Amino acid sequence: MKVFWTVLALFVAFLLQSALTHVVPRQARMVDLFVLVLVYCGLVGGETHAMLAGAAGGWVQDVQFGGGVMGLSGLTKVLVGFGVGLSGSRFQLTEPAARVLVLFAATLLDTLIFERLASAFDVRVQTLSLGGLFTRAALNAALGGVLFFYVDRHLARRRRS
Amino acid sequence: MAIGRTTPGVARVIEGRKSRFLLGALVLAHLVVISRQVEGEGGVSLLQRGLWSVLIPPQRLVASAIHGVEGVWTGYVGLRGARDENRRLQEQVRSLETQLEATKQQIGEAARLREILELRPILPFPTMTAQVIAREGVPWFRNITVDKGLKDGVALNAPVLGVGGVMGRVVEVGSSAAKVQLLLDRDCGVGVRIERTRTTAVVAGQVAFSDSGTSELLMKYVPVLADVVVGDVVVTSGLDQIYPKGLVVGRVRSVGKGSGLFKEVSVQPSANFEKIEEVMVASAPPRPAVLTESVR
Repeated sequence: MKVFWTVLALFVAFLLQSALTHVVPRQARMVDLFVLVLVYCGLVGGETHAMLAGAAGGWVQDVQFGGGVMGLSGLTKVLVGFGVGLSGSRFQLTEPAARVLVLFAATLLDTLIFERLASAFDVRVQTLSLGGLFTRAALNAALGGVLFFYVDRHLARRRRS
Repeated sequence: MAIGRTTPGVARVIEGRKSRFLLGALVLAHLVVISRQVEGEGGVSLLQRGLWSVLIPPQRLVASAIHGVEGVWTGYVGLRGARDENRRLQEQVRSLETQLEATKQQIGEAARLREILELRPILPFPTMTAQVIAREGVPWFRNITVDKGLKDGVALNAPVLGVGGVMGRVVEVGSSAAKVQLLLDRDCGVGVRIERTRTTAVVAGQVAFSDSGTSELLMKYVPVLADVVVGDVVVTSGLDQIYPKGLVVGRVRSVGKGSGLFKEVSVQPSANFEKIEEVMVASAPPRPAVLTESVR
């Protein structure tokens, strides 16, 4: 069941990201919905779940939205997923503020790791300015915070009923 | 006889009542008679006036109550009618707005397609129109996915053109879709020539940060001694064997000293990369050709 929901979440993230690129192409680059899925999986299911979700999401991103070298996003998200999963199992990260912080850090890490990996593999990529880096992280954190709140509330209601 | 047998006191009371009754009756009769003869203001008799003064207030009350109820009823019915009409009109407005929007979109699409169709006959190679079905959703690359692939005749490295000029080339081809690397991508390169001076160079991807909002291209390998000024038209040179010669890439936006042997030149692309909906993909590898002035 966990696999089903993760796949569904990734699929929805893919559809939404595609839709965003059509409607607001410039702003869509500043939102990474796959990171949101990855972070949620990491906080709820631990590092294994986060890494697998990250790998899957990263590969979708590589194939559909990425450049010439496949797997850069996949690798990045595996690393980020591991970090988030580990943090989730070591620290109490159930409070909304803590989750927003994790989202912010995860997005920041995702961007930095990707750019470093691209540089290491000699893939020429467009880099983000410092402002862009933090804006991306803040946008993702805000969006994820709201989404996580609603998902948790929905799940709590289902459990009660 | 019986009266005669009643006591004088009782008889007096009965008489007194009778008389008062009679008095009243007589006065009234007289008043009626008199009032019939005396016309008051507006031709209304005194009796009438008197009767009216008694009867009209309750009548007025009833009438006003009825009017009130009628008013409320009419208002209610009218309001219902107005509400229904309002709803109907709102629906009509919505429907018309939708139609207007659809028409606007059709007009826009027709204009774009017309521009493409007008350009197509003067291109020296066959092209096909393709719809953009996806864009990059990450800040690091600049690419689009189009709805034409191998089965439509799209080949790897096929040049992709927009109304404004060169947009990029096909870097991945599927059976029914293809990924196009845009000129803005950092990994992209096009052999170009400055039209005025015939100076050759290479235009590479975007100069600025991904989030800067600008879409300037970097022109590399322009010799320090080359004659380049702002506004110069940059066209493809054909030397890269991918893009045919003479297609417009953009205009020189700024010229800097740079470091070493080359100038630092940035180019403003002529194609609009932010709003791409349809593009032209070369359906066969283009043969070397020189375009006429009218193409530009």
